[in-house]
Amino acid sequence: MTSISRRSLLRGGALGAAGLAGLAGCGTVGTAPAATGTIPPKAAGEVVRLEYWAWLKDLQQVCDIWNAQRPDIQVEAVWIPGGNDGGYQKLFAAIAAGSGPDLAQVEMRNVPSFLLQSGLVDVSRYGFGEVSDSYDRALVEQVTFLDSAWAVPQDSGPMATFYRPDLLEEVGAGPPSTWAEWLETARAVHEADPNRWLESFAVGDTSVFLAFAAQAGAVWFTPEDDRWLVRMTDDATTAVARHFDTAISEGVVNTALAPYSPGWFAAVGDGRIAALTSGSWGDALLQGATGASGLWRVAPMPVWSDIPGSFGSSYLGGSTAALMAGSEHPHEALEFATWMTTSREGIDAMIQYSGIGWSPATDYIGSAREEGSEFFGGQAYGAEVFAPAAQEQNLEWTWPPVAQQVMDGLGDRFLGVLSGTTTMVDAVAAMEREVVEIFREKGLSAEVAS
Amino acid sequence: MAPFLVLFVVAFLLPIVYAVGQSFTRVQRSGLFGEAGTTSGFGGLANYRQALEGTAFVESVGRVLLFGVVQVTVMIVLATVLALLLESASAKWPGAFRTIYFLPYGIPGVVATILWSFLYVPGLSPVVDVAGAVGLDVDFLGPSTVLWSIANIVTWAYAGYNMLIIVAQLKSIPGELYEAARVDGAGPMRIAWSLQLPLIRPALLLAIVFSIIGTLQLFAEPQVLQSVSTAITNEYTPNLAAYNSAFNNNDYGVAAAQSVLIALAAFVLSGLFLALTARKDRS
Repeated sequence: MTSISRRSLLRGGALGAAGLAGLAGCGTVGTAPAATGTIPPKAAGEVVRLEYWAWLKDLQQVCDIWNAQRPDIQVEAVWIPGGNDGGYQKLFAAIAAGSGPDLAQVEMRNVPSFLLQSGLVDVSRYGFGEVSDSYDRALVEQVTFLDSAWAVPQDSGPMATFYRPDLLEEVGAGPPSTWAEWLETARAVHEADPNRWLESFAVGDTSVFLAFAAQAGAVWFTPEDDRWLVRMTDDATTAVARHFDTAISEGVVNTALAPYSPGWFAAVGDGRIAALTSGSWGDALLQGATGASGLWRVAPMPVWSDIPGSFGSSYLGGSTAALMAGSEHPHEALEFATWMTTSREGIDAMIQYSGIGWSPATDYIGSAREEGSEFFGGQAYGAEVFAPAAQEQNLEWTWPPVAQQVMDGLGDRFLGVLSGTTTMVDAVAAMEREVVEIFREKGLSAEVAS
Repeated sequence: MAPFLVLFVVAFLLPIVYAVGQSFTRVQRSGLFGEAGTTSGFGGLANYRQALEGTAFVESVGRVLLFGVVQVTVMIVLATVLALLLESASAKWPGAFRTIYFLPYGIPGVVATILWSFLYVPGLSPVVDVAGAVGLDVDFLGPSTVLWSIANIVTWAYAGYNMLIIVAQLKSIPGELYEAARVDGAGPMRIAWSLQLPLIRPALLLAIVFSIIGTLQLFAEPQVLQSVSTAITNEYTPNLAAYNSAFNNNDYGVAAAQSVLIALAAFVLSGLFLALTARKDRS
């Protein structure tokens, strides 16, 4: 057993899939296996039309730049509601019906759940491997399953800390460089002014907690052979949960105002919030706060200095352009997606028109992000903070095909932390047992890693 | 008969049979994503067990039952009073008022909910603003209040409709009965209580049964309000839970089981209500 590597087993599984594909063609909706083989590129002189379903704003403007250069591959952007607000439901229905667009925007964490419905094209078969070096490595890892890539990274959210130097100086502090320092600063800020907090921490939005755990080196889900190993009570996760249990029970983080909620913006405008540890896309949102211009700066996020194997940053959010299984022109769709996400022209257009998160391309952050911004006092934080953060990522973190249910379930349990009926440490442990059940209800095998 | 039978089977029987069949179907996957084979087969009561073990679904049933007891009662009383007033001899412009009370029914539930949400959302709502100005801190969208905000929308939309059912029955009461009652010295209150109410009983029963079924199927209002209220979860009502299972979790078997359970509950509740009232008739 020990002589067989995990990779060769996975490859064996993929080959088995090809053989069994023809056998399991019918049955319940959304369970048809992924198409195998490849569809040849279009003939020379043929004009193909592609549809891209996404919730990015003004995406057609980006497509039009491409369309002007490539009359033979015309891309039309179709707006769908964002993710779970209705977009995914539309896509899943289209997959079940065997129709749908050529490309669709799928969040990084939802790629596996689309894979579970056999809704995606294996882009490795169409040459994604030749361009995968152009993308941040952690992002490529996150779309790679069964030794193949299943989506094209489109944007991401490397994390950092936005902060108010003036408010922190009042308590003689700077941006915290470790989480221990973060806790001390949080205490100092709240003690000096009971109406002011270092940060808000929304227990209901578990994506933030997951990001912190991943930064600490946690890997909750590991594919092994043909089953999932669940490991949510490792030392790293427990340490992160304990850290926030402490902060919440001491009342030194604000749990009432979720970041980016109307009440939170009001508090930012009043100078009652001194910092925000969030994804790179937070910069555009933060600028929606009134009277805050010029007062904010950006620093690397705190690190878990006492947890071995932890990382400098983490990802919060991020999406992909996924090739849908029903596409008749995967070659052309991948060509467009590659242009959109790695060419200077594509990246600049995506930033200018669609306001995407951090560009997934390793060597170009976008011209608009190379300069300093007035809101952040001229600091060129893009190159200075986020570009390095995008490289300091947990490469092992893997999203499971049940990510949404795990996050929803954990969020429900975390609400009990506020009412004092549980702690984050206990909530995570209880959720770990439930997660195995969620996998099994999907007809998958999973167990808690010993 | 043949065209009827074909339509009946295709449009009515087949979907029900298919849904019941789905509710007994489980998917089994091999590999990490089912890439090594996906089979669906008979799963016994596993989907039903999963639906009933999920506390959220059971809670959602309890929630709509509470909603039904309060909202249906309020709405039917309101509809009856409106109908009796409009059919009383002293009513002015009954035709115009009938139309006005009925109008909300003509507005789709989604649109009605959007309209009302403008009155519920803090910062948009003049009601919240005025209440805040006099020192009242009202929250129409909180965990303990949002159910009744939904009840308000449903009552607004359907009270006029139920009123119309009752009015139709009131109109079928022969004039001689009123004359006889008046000759016997009955005043308007007495006529309403001893003559009209007993005679509109069939219409009331019909309206109540429709309302019980409608309550269990509550969907559009909470679905729309979800975007402005964090208190509404994905499994707030049984129908929302079934929708969530099908289209968020892609668990069509469990969604089918939940749908069958909702249908059974509506069937049992309506039957119970009719049986109860029938027994009262006999006694």
